[in-house]
Amino acid sequence: MLCDDCKKKPATIFFKEVLPEEVVELHLCEECAHKRGLIMTKKMLPIEILQRLLREKSVEDEKIICSVCYLSLAEFKRRGRFGCSNCISTFEPYIKNLIKQIHRSDKHVGRQAKLGPKKGFEVFKLREQLKKALEKESYEEAAEIRDKLKTFEVDNAE
Amino acid sequence: MLNNIEWLVPSDDKVKLGGEDSEIVVSSRTRIARNITDIPFEIKMKTDDSIRLVKLVRSVIGENIKGKYLDIQKISPLEKESLLECHFISPAFLDIDKPAGLFILDKGNISIMINEEDHLRIQGLSYGLNLTNISSEVFDLEEKIGEDLAYAFNETYGYLTSCPTNLGSGLRASVLLHLPALVFTNEVEKVLKGAVQIGMAVRGLYGEGSEIKGGLFQISNQHTLGLKEEDLIESIVKLTHMIMDIEKKARNVIFTKARYEFEDKIFRSLAVLKSARIISTDEVLNLLSAVRFGIGTGVIKDITLGVINEIMLVSRPANIQLYFGEVLEEHERDVRRAEYIRKRLSGKSKITKSK
Ligand SMILES: [Zn+2]
Ligand SMILES: [Zn+2]
Repeated sequence: MLCDDCKKKPATIFFKEVLPEEVVELHLCEECAHKRGLIMTKKMLPIEILQRLLREKSVEDEKIICSVCYLSLAEFKRRGRFGCSNCISTFEPYIKNLIKQIHRSDKHVGRQAKLGPKKGFEVFKLREQLKKALEKESYEEAAEIRDKLKTFEVDNAE
Repeated sequence: MLNNIEWLVPSDDKVKLGGEDSEIVVSSRTRIARNITDIPFEIKMKTDDSIRLVKLVRSVIGENIKGKYLDIQKISPLEKESLLECHFISPAFLDIDKPAGLFILDKGNISIMINEEDHLRIQGLSYGLNLTNISSEVFDLEEKIGEDLAYAFNETYGYLTSCPTNLGSGLRASVLLHLPALVFTNEVEKVLKGAVQIGMAVRGLYGEGSEIKGGLFQISNQHTLGLKEEDLIESIVKLTHMIMDIEKKARNVIFTKARYEFEDKIFRSLAVLKSARIISTDEVLNLLSAVRFGIGTGVIKDITLGVINEIMLVSRPANIQLYFGEVLEEHERDVRRAEYIRKRLSGKSKITKSK
């Protein structure tokens, strides 16, 4: 017997529900039973939904690339992980639905990160400046920036 | 380095006893994931980035917070196993091969993993139903660190994480519940199914599979986007109260029906713990469940939950080796575990402070 839902895989789970007006009998394959949320211990976790959704691939995926870390959408789909804080802006149009299906929501409403001068940002800016200085071949400036960068490093000694 | 497990186990009985209803609610845990804007995430990190991350975080934490720092690459596999058993690290840290660290706050209830799947994993554990308090402690720490570090953040998707399943709040909150009566009356599946329906994940303790040990179940949130942190925590606390009520009702029912049978099971379990000469971790977990149940129902009066919580922790395979300060084979572990439990239950041995 084939699964009532997908009509492809053999049905391995039989489900009978008595509703006020009718008796519903379902014959499902395991995957479709999960989709209906019928098995408690095996209900799909967000990570499993993610893995399933990432299987949908497109030839364009190789061409969509994060400008900061150079992660392609294709690699994101292979690994299921972002490469940097910029990736999400690049991939958003293509993964909007995926995020919504995982979380049943598409908008953060919780705590807000405080902005302001912080170590994470300063290092970022200094690195950009250093890159530019090196491009301009102004090595004196580059040396100064390197010195500043060093102040963010702390000795590893116990 | 960890020649004794003492510093991993709360020495204060009050801490071990935990907050309200600490028999049914064994523990409450909170974890938040954070990344730093200008450092690549895990899959794009080079060794240089890892070194920079660890240094940067250590410099920020070192200025503000008192605690113990462990270089994960420098500690032994056995010590790592122990840290895992104490919930200070995740399985991913066991065979990590990049610069990474763990910071354990002096109070012993909060730790920070540096360079796991996310740059920072700030986590807190408390015994009993104490989710609200431990969460606000964790968030206080997160804010403190956030004054110096720029967290990766996006208006729409909140805090940015390595894995899309953690986007938003990056928050995973959980409670570990002890539900022996619901297991006995076969209602536990029905009750926990309700939890799954409202977006929680449910699992048996110490295993990804469905196997249930010692009547322990962990409930945690599955979604991190679209819910305020406080609301999420409140919904878990509410759900926990609901499940607790059902468990208590089930206890009344089974005690009215078969009081002596249950008292018998409880005292037999205690007797085995008090006199066994060889005992496995699984057996301990099951027997402790019965004793815990006995304490919760007032059948056992002379043993505290603090002692039970300690035995549950110290009995684990790596912890028991650190407790004796020796590497032990499985059979030897079972013998020494039985020895430790006998002493602990006869009140003779407390964990001793190593200098
Ligand atoms: Zn099917
Ligand atoms: Zn990127």
